[in-house]
Amino acid sequence: MIIANKEMKHKDIKGENMTEILVASHGHFASGLKNSIEILTGMGDKIQTIDAYVDQSDYTKQIIRFIENAQHPAVIFTDLKGGSVNQKVVLEAVNKKNIFVVTQTNLAIVMAVLLDNEKLTRDHIQDLINQSQVELCQIDDSQTESNDSDGDFFE
Amino acid sequence: MIAQLRVDDRLIHGQVALVWTKELNTPGIVVANDNAANNTMVQMTLKMATPTGKKLLIRTVDDAIKVFNNPKGSDMRIFALTNNIEDALKIAKNVKEIDGINVANVGRFANDANKGVQLSSTLMLSEQELTSLKELAELDIPVFNQVVPSNVKTPIKSLLKGK
Repeated sequence: MIIANKEMKHKDIKGENMTEILVASHGHFASGLKNSIEILTGMGDKIQTIDAYVDQSDYTKQIIRFIENAQHPAVIFTDLKGGSVNQKVVLEAVNKKNIFVVTQTNLAIVMAVLLDNEKLTRDHIQDLINQSQVELCQIDDSQTESNDSDGDFFE
Repeated sequence: MIAQLRVDDRLIHGQVALVWTKELNTPGIVVANDNAANNTMVQMTLKMATPTGKKLLIRTVDDAIKVFNNPKGSDMRIFALTNNIEDALKIAKNVKEIDGINVANVGRFANDANKGVQLSSTLMLSEQELTSLKELAELDIPVFNQVVPSNVKTPIKSLLKGK
């Protein structure tokens, strides 16, 4: 298990409050996702991670510590719905106020929450999730149409 | 007005689409690139990379300059992108309202990258690009290198010292 960034800063570069984020996964998905976010945004240090089962240690304590120490609202992302990591997180986070648990995590949703400036409510996090779905890339007519006009752009 | 003119080999991509449009608060993105303006497949990938709710125009460099100088756009914050320094220089010389020029990613993936002049971890320039960059740095506009907003803005003039 790899635990990163026990001391997190609560302010982003603009000095606004940020949501605290923990990503917990089977294996190195969590630290790998953090690495991708560091390359894309330079903000990898804002993300705490648990890479579970890469050794024998019990990561439950790390989940509890995050929940106790995090400025709320906070979000815990897990990799797989119903997986053991997700089960442990849900058990610890249940009945905790303003701890959101998100599962089936992808890069887009973690970045969306990280870069977001609004107060994180249940409705708002649902909006962010809706905008971060996996999708089939396909070419449709709207994408092959010629350029939009200058007029539309300035409207 | 152009809130930022960014020079980036990859035009719109992950760093740009999500991070910079948010940071700069720019509702409009203009890609000024002759190849993209004439290639529907490139246009498709650029449209795919554009965040929901942002407007995108893909224009040749000359047409983009007309867009930037359109009085209708004087109150609109525009994020402008080119994929090379020469195009950025042409725009800088022909457009008045530019808040800053970010020479972010140039030449990192070029085939002859090892022959170039390295200015930073993300800037690897040919001699010709170096000449254009020097000219760009002399204009009366802040010219800097900042890959992601959490990086410090490094003035291009300081990277050019001794080159």
